[in-house]
Amino acid sequence: MLDCDQYLLPKSLDEAFGFLETHGDAAQIVAGATDLLPWAREGRAGDVHIPVLIDITRIPELNGVALEGNRLRLGAATVFQKFLKDSVLREHAPVMPHVAVWFADDQLRQSATIGGNLVNASPAADGTPGLMALDAELVLHSRTGGERRVNVTDFPTGPSFSVLNNGELIVAVEFDSAAEYGASFEKVGHRRSLVISTVCVATVLKLDEVGQNFEDVRIALAGVGPVPVRLSECEEMLSGKTVTAALIDAAAHLPIDRVQSRTRQDYRREVVVSFVRRGIVEALASIGCDVGPFETQELETANG
Amino acid sequence: MADLNISMTVNGRAVEKSAAAGSRLLDFIRNDLNLTGTKEGCGAGECGTCSVFVDGVLVKSCMVPVAKADGAEIETVEGLAPRRQMTPVQRAFHKTGASQCGYCIPGMVMAASATLRENPQADLEEIKQGLGGNICRCTGYQKIFEAVELARDVINGKVPETALDEDEVGESFIGANVRRLDAPSKVTGALRYAGDMVVPTMLHLQVLRSPHAHALIKSIDTSDAEAMAGVEAVVTAADIPGEDGYGVFVHDQPTLATDKVRYVGEAIAAVAAETEALARDAVKAIKIEYEELPAVFDPHEAMSGGPILHDYAQDNVTYHVPIRKGDVEKGFAEADVIVEQDYDTQPIEHAYLEPEAGLAYEEADGTITIHSPSQNITHHRHAASRILGMPVNKIRMIMSPVGGGFGGKEDMHYQCFLALAALKSGRPVRYVFTREESIIASAKRHGFKIRYKMGLKKNGRITATEMYMVSDGGAYGCSTEGVMRKSAILAAGPYDIPNVKVDTIGVYTNNTPAGAMRAFGALQSEFSTESHLDICAEKLGLDPFEIRRINMMQDGAITHTRQKLGSVSIGQVLDEAEKVSGWESGAPTVRGPVRKDLGGDGNREPCTLVPRHTTTASPEEEVA
Ligand SMILES: Cc1cc2nc3c(=O)[nH]c(=O)nc-3n(C[C@H](O)[C@H](O)[C@H](O)COP(=O)(O)OP(=O)(O)OC[C@H]3O[C@@H](n4cnc5c(N)ncnc54)[C@H](O)[C@@H]3O)c2cc1C
Ligand code: FES
Ligand code: FES
Repeated sequence: MLDCDQYLLPKSLDEAFGFLETHGDAAQIVAGATDLLPWAREGRAGDVHIPVLIDITRIPELNGVALEGNRLRLGAATVFQKFLKDSVLREHAPVMPHVAVWFADDQLRQSATIGGNLVNASPAADGTPGLMALDAELVLHSRTGGERRVNVTDFPTGPSFSVLNNGELIVAVEFDSAAEYGASFEKVGHRRSLVISTVCVATVLKLDEVGQNFEDVRIALAGVGPVPVRLSECEEMLSGKTVTAALIDAAAHLPIDRVQSRTRQDYRREVVVSFVRRGIVEALASIGCDVGPFETQELETANG
Repeated sequence: MADLNISMTVNGRAVEKSAAAGSRLLDFIRNDLNLTGTKEGCGAGECGTCSVFVDGVLVKSCMVPVAKADGAEIETVEGLAPRRQMTPVQRAFHKTGASQCGYCIPGMVMAASATLRENPQADLEEIKQGLGGNICRCTGYQKIFEAVELARDVINGKVPETALDEDEVGESFIGANVRRLDAPSKVTGALRYAGDMVVPTMLHLQVLRSPHAHALIKSIDTSDAEAMAGVEAVVTAADIPGEDGYGVFVHDQPTLATDKVRYVGEAIAAVAAETEALARDAVKAIKIEYEELPAVFDPHEAMSGGPILHDYAQDNVTYHVPIRKGDVEKGFAEADVIVEQDYDTQPIEHAYLEPEAGLAYEEADGTITIHSPSQNITHHRHAASRILGMPVNKIRMIMSPVGGGFGGKEDMHYQCFLALAALKSGRPVRYVFTREESIIASAKRHGFKIRYKMGLKKNGRITATEMYMVSDGGAYGCSTEGVMRKSAILAAGPYDIPNVKVDTIGVYTNNTPAGAMRAFGALQSEFSTESHLDICAEKLGLDPFEIRRINMMQDGAITHTRQKLGSVSIGQVLDEAEKVSGWESGAPTVRGPVRKDLGGDGNREPCTLVPRHTTTASPEEEVA
């Protein structure tokens, strides 16, 4: 059970940093609490006493969505449900509604934030690969260090670890609009709702003006190693080439060796190939490009 | 823990109260406001029994620190309709029989209300999505979906409101839709389960459980816990006045571990204190010295010289049921084919949505009253009389509403130490398991390892069946004896087999005890028998229906335990199953890659994971 002496709800960044300074190590940040509360239970951390909880969800800078030119900025306390509801996000971050719909359930999505998802740094986090495929940049801020920017790919360093410093907050997430892009998110877990990914793949891609060649392809994979990763080898193989089933199939076989997780390796390998393939196909389909049939058999019932 | 001042509107009424800073909205609603329609099925965001509206948005209140809800407008299941009235959603749940044990139902009603508020036209797919965060272990969801669709149609005026009224019952109740009497109390959240009960001066119980699978207890020191202010009683085995030991068949399980623990999660000491948090702290202050012993987790190893759990069972066998009919060796000699196969089944958690809970208090005349969702009150009452050393007329066992049991609440795992805490403290005491505790401490379905051997003639006639079934009973007997019997009795299935040899052996291991669960041992043996017949059908080139018809019992058959059966209905069952499934006849081997009998009328779609988000729908059209 979680227990604290003070639960603070700062209304500005300045106030939050003031609290962090005053309470130092006694303080812990909380956003949606959907990782924190289940963590403080038997079998995990057990009974936990945190002297001061600082809830950052009421800070204006951490909320809201703003489109400036081609650049989208959203607060770190944005909840996952918003990706399904907010028309700006739906248009400019096309992979995120797909992520959101697979994320927990309607109710938890009202609480769970992208900042929490990033900092929790689960190898199976769903939000992180989505943001990786959008090539997002994280805006971090601390009182002593001021603002710094980190590409989301460099943010997690291992399960539960990231480059975030003590006293530092993720304030916002920024990325270029992907409005013209096709996108998909594939996830497999043990059941349909409320399920932690065994493997998930986020894909964001764009074709050239002719509509026949890959121009920009970004694929991120999670659940198979200590941190989610971008599949640069696939992306390179596809970029600039003509869309064919054979090419996609070849690219999908490249990341097999990325599977490093401790359990169910063979299964995850098989899933990765068909997921990367399906991710690309679905992303293409979302912008009206039909690849046609594959020679190898599609893995349809992923829960097998 | 310091307090916060919380002011909010709850079900339309202003509330101002202080709350512990770290508490959850769920705690505030249940404990401070005493609105117990909102339940805690898991405390981990998984089950949806705690769903409430916060400023019109449905959330899981176990995942919301109460401080976040300060100033908010809260709506709980109690506030959906004025008192003694029900919303169309609630009435529809009543009408379709959607509430069974009822424990998930307030949450389901909330999720259904949220879904229809968001989109009053929601189709079945959207309804399923909207209810995706809520688990039900009783209904299989079908009746719940029916209820939400009915409510939707009433709300939209597509069907008249009278559709929610009770159907008239004609000549017979059979085949009629009869509403449950207790449904209104469940759909409105009014029904109080044991964990919802509150009595004045009530204390809270917490339990120290073994971290070891097998260890000697060298000493227990409760002095620090007892010295804590607010701790009113600490109970250990030394406090048991009568003759200890409980179990549905053998009484081998101590109320609280005495000299030894035999599984992780075994109860050793219980603390009753003014608050649950204090009781948890006191549990941590109890010092126990253990001497770890080698443990055994595999029943075959346990039977062949593994560490011994109980002195009276040197071979670790809890119960062995040998059944012999005819001569299997002769039967195998007559057979054209012998088919052998091993089958393993896993232990299974019941996962009833209501974790175990109880409330005990001493009456003025010395009677001890124990409320709990016990599935076996009379048996428990007599056992408690022996353990507590009290005449049976001084023991009152009250069966509180059972929020799902499925056999898992047949064991008296906590009622006696709860009673002892009440007797010792002189105060009412309540104990509510956490979900984690429910999983580690109470009995599971038995895992079986089955060695199957069957002899058959080429025409499919079975000449002999031999089943050797070793079952993991875990650390204590619980229902193992009965499960072994039932499993042996039903083992070979409804087939007329001249030679049968069945052994079911329940074995002690240091795993979580295994007990009763739906079908009581039959599931495991039937799983192997029916799978085996399919394998034999494939080997012999027979239609799976056919091989069963060739061997099935007829009216008047005598089973392998010499029971004479008046009428046997397997023939009708097979005919009906074949018809309604649109079965594609023939041996399993003659089918091509595509089955023609899948996906037809009356067939369910296979389970697939399909993309659920459509990019074309506008936010207004789409309900995620
Ligand atoms: C039932 C259930 C289902 C779930 N399903 C999924 C799922 O499908 N996919 C998935 O990926 N996850 C899932 N999760 C996990 C969890 O919901 C997500 O990781 C969520 O995004 C965490 O966000 P939060 O705001 O709730 O984090 P919190 O619990 O509030 O915080 C988590 C950590 O992040 C830190 N933190 C939060 N925000 C910031 C910030 N802005 N700056 C610095 N530090 C910060 C906190 O200090 C804390 O250490 C599930 C959880 C539950 C309980
Ligand atoms: S989801 Fe809150 S109690 Fe289960
Ligand atoms: S009625 Fe749903 S869990 Fe019992």
